[in-house]
Amino acid sequence: MYSLAKLPKGQSALKTALRRSITSKASSAGGVSVIGFENKGPAATSSLTVAVKAGSRFENTPGVAHVLKNFAFKATASASSLRTARETELYGGVLSAGLTREHLYLTAEFLRGDEEHFLSVLTSVLSSSHFHPYELKELVLPVVQAESVAAQSTPATYALDVAHQLAFRKGLGNSLYASPHYPVTIDDVKTFAQGAFSKSNLAVIGSGISTESLSQVVSSAFGSGSSAPGSSGLNTQSTSYYGGEARIPLDIHAPATSTPTLVIAYGQSSKAGPELKVLKHLLGGESSLKWTPGSSPLSQVAEKVPGASAKAFLLPYSDASLFGVVVSAPTSPQLAGLAKEVAQVLKSAGQSVKDEEVKRAVAKATFADASASETLQGLVANVGPALFAGGEVKSESFSGVSASSIQKAASELLKAKPTVVAVGNVNVLPYA
Amino acid sequence: MPSITKMIFGNGPLGPSFAPFIRARPGLQKYWARWSNFYKNAAGYRQKGYLYDDLIVEETPQVQLALKRLSAKQRYDRVFRMRRGLTQSMAHKNLPKEQWIKPEEDVRYLTPLIEQVVAEEAERAEWDYMTVEKIQQKRAEKRNIFSKREGTH
Repeated sequence: MYSLAKLPKGQSALKTALRRSITSKASSAGGVSVIGFENKGPAATSSLTVAVKAGSRFENTPGVAHVLKNFAFKATASASSLRTARETELYGGVLSAGLTREHLYLTAEFLRGDEEHFLSVLTSVLSSSHFHPYELKELVLPVVQAESVAAQSTPATYALDVAHQLAFRKGLGNSLYASPHYPVTIDDVKTFAQGAFSKSNLAVIGSGISTESLSQVVSSAFGSGSSAPGSSGLNTQSTSYYGGEARIPLDIHAPATSTPTLVIAYGQSSKAGPELKVLKHLLGGESSLKWTPGSSPLSQVAEKVPGASAKAFLLPYSDASLFGVVVSAPTSPQLAGLAKEVAQVLKSAGQSVKDEEVKRAVAKATFADASASETLQGLVANVGPALFAGGEVKSESFSGVSASSIQKAASELLKAKPTVVAVGNVNVLPYA
Repeated sequence: MPSITKMIFGNGPLGPSFAPFIRARPGLQKYWARWSNFYKNAAGYRQKGYLYDDLIVEETPQVQLALKRLSAKQRYDRVFRMRRGLTQSMAHKNLPKEQWIKPEEDVRYLTPLIEQVVAEEAERAEWDYMTVEKIQQKRAEKRNIFSKREGTH
């Protein structure tokens, strides 16, 4: 028998990853919290990300955050959208915008040395976007529509979106995607942007650049920012968990890739602790080896149906979290059978687990946590919320996690009313 | 002020216009304004209830795009004026005098939008046919192959 204790420990790489994230502290540049990560080695690129507290949970009009995301890098006082795009191409950079339920991320990746240009692009987006009505109609809405349609025709994405609506109703429950049922006008976008782009609502994350030099450039760039602190007129309400059930028929004309999907989730109106992160890896569903389903309970269940998958997920937010499993199978009857078994696994989650399994899950969780900050997306997703929460970026400590603490956290979580979303042939799919 | 050639051939869908030339000369503009007003009244479109911008030829991609950028109210009013004007034309009649468009009502609501579209196209063309400075230098050198360079024979 192999056991984890016998394996040589790959500590050094882990330690550097931890050290990197522990030693970085945010500094404040003119009211904007700023953090820079210097990556050692031959990397020749840097990136700047402005995190804005303007996710879908803060919107007053449904879908306005999604529209605002697509309004990034359009005409500003200093350049038209075409000019911004072409100049970026000439510099060899990449501009992108991302939206989560809590944050809007504006990112510029570029060759080292071009900080000044790209910071000015980002600041001009924040301070002087024109928001032309014709841009909304000609450039923004077609993309918004395409993204919404794509999300709707991807059962897993759609089911998770609906699961949020059931779980949290308002605020965090707001859909990430704009909907044709709620038209967004240019005035909605302007008011939302005005509230969102105030200094107190921003944080700047840099990679390949030190915190000191970043805070210098940021304070000079944002120094003249007209946005007064605390002027944010955004919809901030605390989150409570409700739960419920939704059954959505899958369009029979849907492409073959959209397979019937079931989401079973439990939420709580408090931050996710390390126990839940470990629990996610304990239930698993994702194999760490090729050509084998792995030994986690969920993948063992999913293995019985060819082409099926059952994956545990944890979506952490600043004041709530949603934990659950996404199950999908090629056909609805197969999914119905699978879902019952997955529900059993989820109900008994965290009970009678062996120490060995916990150790394995802790190691997986630690690795996932550390390796997430190696990519820009993961780094931003980790650091952005931390900056708004207090400014210090720490990596999660899993030292206190034991079999009993997981059991306690799991039983606490499973007390709540479940959120179940079934997408597929609702005639066949089971009820909650 | 653009060049004369540009004013005649380069004004896009708005057609040839010497307006920039005249506007640059206040004395001439003052004189020309009388002719301009005379022409506008004599042309008879105000008596039929049109604005000047209703008469711009709309069968070009630029004007079509500009028309799409009108606000809903502007678009409605434009169609209303056209229908009313068409009815008057068919009856060979002018509107009653109190319904004639007054000079201060004759606003250029479409021209700025067309200019905007044209400027955008020009910007795109500029970026599409942009040359990097090094290539420009090379071209300049190529043109001068027969002229003697300094330091060579």
